[in-house]
Amino acid sequence: MMLYALFAIVILISIYTARHYLFTLNRLFGFQRHPYIDIDTASWPPVTILVAAHNEEKVVAHILSALMGVNYPKDKMLVVPVNDRSTDRTREIIDHFCEDYPGRIRPFHRTGGKGGKAAALKDAMELVKTEVILIFDADYIPGSGLIKQLVAPFFDPEVGGVMGRVVPLNVGTNLLTRLLDLERSGGYQVDQQARMNLRLVPQHGGTVAGVRLSALREIGGWNDDTLTEDTDLTFRLLLAGWKTVYQNRSECYEEVPETWQVRIKQIMRWAKGHNQALAAFGLKILFGKHRATLRERIDGFWLLGVYAMAPLTMIAWVLALGLFYEGVAPLQGVIALLAFTAYAATGNFAAFFEIAAAVRLDNTRQRVCLLPFLVLGFVVSIFSVSRACADQLMAPITGAQFHWDKTERFRTTP
Amino acid sequence: MNSALAAVLLVLLGGILFTLPMLPALIELRLKRDAQPLDVVQQYAGEIRHFSFGFRSYITNLLEPLRECVSSGTTAQGIMPDGDQYLLLGCADDMHFVTAGEISATCQSVVAAGMDVVLPNGITFAKEVYAAGEFTGGEKSMFRALLGEKDIHLKPSSTVIRWAHAVGAFRAERDCDLYGRISSDCEIQLESGCAFQRLNAPRIVLGRLDAEETTVSTETVPTTLPDGRRLVDEDLEIQAGEIVSANIVTRGRLHIGAGAQMLGSVKSHQHMTLEAGVNVEGSLISASTMRIGPDCRITGPVIAERGITIESGTRCGSVQVPTTVSAPTIEIEDGVTVFGTIWARTEGQVVPRG
Repeated sequence: MMLYALFAIVILISIYTARHYLFTLNRLFGFQRHPYIDIDTASWPPVTILVAAHNEEKVVAHILSALMGVNYPKDKMLVVPVNDRSTDRTREIIDHFCEDYPGRIRPFHRTGGKGGKAAALKDAMELVKTEVILIFDADYIPGSGLIKQLVAPFFDPEVGGVMGRVVPLNVGTNLLTRLLDLERSGGYQVDQQARMNLRLVPQHGGTVAGVRLSALREIGGWNDDTLTEDTDLTFRLLLAGWKTVYQNRSECYEEVPETWQVRIKQIMRWAKGHNQALAAFGLKILFGKHRATLRERIDGFWLLGVYAMAPLTMIAWVLALGLFYEGVAPLQGVIALLAFTAYAATGNFAAFFEIAAAVRLDNTRQRVCLLPFLVLGFVVSIFSVSRACADQLMAPITGAQFHWDKTERFRTTP
Repeated sequence: MNSALAAVLLVLLGGILFTLPMLPALIELRLKRDAQPLDVVQQYAGEIRHFSFGFRSYITNLLEPLRECVSSGTTAQGIMPDGDQYLLLGCADDMHFVTAGEISATCQSVVAAGMDVVLPNGITFAKEVYAAGEFTGGEKSMFRALLGEKDIHLKPSSTVIRWAHAVGAFRAERDCDLYGRISSDCEIQLESGCAFQRLNAPRIVLGRLDAEETTVSTETVPTTLPDGRRLVDEDLEIQAGEIVSANIVTRGRLHIGAGAQMLGSVKSHQHMTLEAGVNVEGSLISASTMRIGPDCRITGPVIAERGITIESGTRCGSVQVPTTVSAPTIEIEDGVTVFGTIWARTEGQVVPRG
């Protein structure tokens, strides 16, 4: 029984590894799809830009200032800072910007209600009158042409969601920020773009992103019962026949966590939210009656399962150890395969070859030297994600409630 | 060797072998040689005139001496701060480029002409050319880049390697190869046989227009994206003359019959065909190839992931509602007008009417 369980897990992990290889090879040698990036002249539609802000006094001025400088027609763009129950100076800063840019910023100050970004966005929808909605977290700094790039895919009537590329700004702070920079490169430059190329399921990230209002209404609006509204949105759009597209050249700076505690909280929230989506959509995406294509069904299922692989990998190691002391032989091949593949299947953790390919595609050279340190990130991820999964499984017994942890900001420069 | 020493050596060797791969990582972590954020361009917004704006700044210091050359009817030469040679033309004189008896020559200087200029045939300009007045290139000439403050006119079989921008109209006669970015603040006209990549102007005329097509369109079109869509899993045929008021998405091929009116946007996963006289109020998107028949009117962006063919008499966009036509390969017949941008990532071609 233990042996069969081990075999099953190793097969699952091997599939994830093969998937990562497929993505990497596609990104290096395949046909690259950027169908909307050349739309530089158009009658640009009205757009509402939601900026999610919960205690963001350190960063909110930067994004509002950047948004006021973008090259989108001013009369067609409304910025709505969604101030979600902030207790710091966020409200004061937003109101100051409203005075400086009358008519261009309309704040939504939320003082009560359910916690979490999805709940705040849901409430803020009362201010949204446009068909195209863009969403940014407050720590992002959009460049001048980004809004047009994110709006352009909505000229395609099949597109319900758009996702841009996230680029860490505080790379050089410490080892963690440098590792997260590598992870982001692998995740976006290779993983997301390959899924776009192969017409699979690029994932909506909930920031540097857009959604079509009619599509959002069709799927029932924001789901405030989930910890990751972005994954939830991706799959509900997919089931309803809307495409989420990824724009690799629509890059935007973000701030990544600078301490391991913040990082662990962040990845645990992602894991719990993602697993919620796995429970809600896992079987439906594979076998349900909906409009996703066969390749989207298969990729969607594997995408939903990524965070479940961390505890499975740990279980596999325990099983291998147990079987070894039980004297079950020959196990060497299976253990070697487990050792080889485990690294490629944990959470949203991009495999080392995927990251190496991403670094090459980004035309950066020296940072690839840090690859061996990714083992550290791997270990932290596998334990954090496993703990998150265990918490989720135990929740019905312990009665623990899911709650949304805001990611702490570190920016100090004005 | 005693066993203790062997153990120490083994541990030492193991430690070295373990540490060795970490050395580059430790060095990079310590020295931070590549710890800057990725270079995300925050201000450059894909502006087609980016390089021409840069060149105009580059030659700012030459404009005053250029005016002096014009007023004195002389020429001048010198060296730019970056070491490039320049040639200022204050009078029309071919002898700066070709000597008697030569049929081709190469000019290695940045050239700035302060008046209307007509250049001889067969010259290769290895550096940028600036024209304060009307500019006419010679046949079979090659330009690295061109900036004209008035009209630019290229004679047959000329080549632009990187970019050209005309504040006035830009016109290229037959069989020109226009690589890179070609832009005008007024109008671009390309004759049959011209190859191009990226064009941008309020009005782009490919080939020669019929008389009735030369009038400027003045219609206005709503700029909101239409709601509601019709999803079709197989091939779809829109009948000739049919009026469709929703967005259409089909996973198969799409055939739109002559004279049909599409009031929303249209997408097909496979080949899309528009017969003559189709009117599309929204955008046209194909995940494969697209053929747009004669005399169609398309309001929104026209995008195909593989290739587009556009037949004579078709108009994309309007003066009030400029648009983009984009695909890796674009083949456009004589007599097509596009208001805005045409962007062929691999190659675009103007071909005679079929």
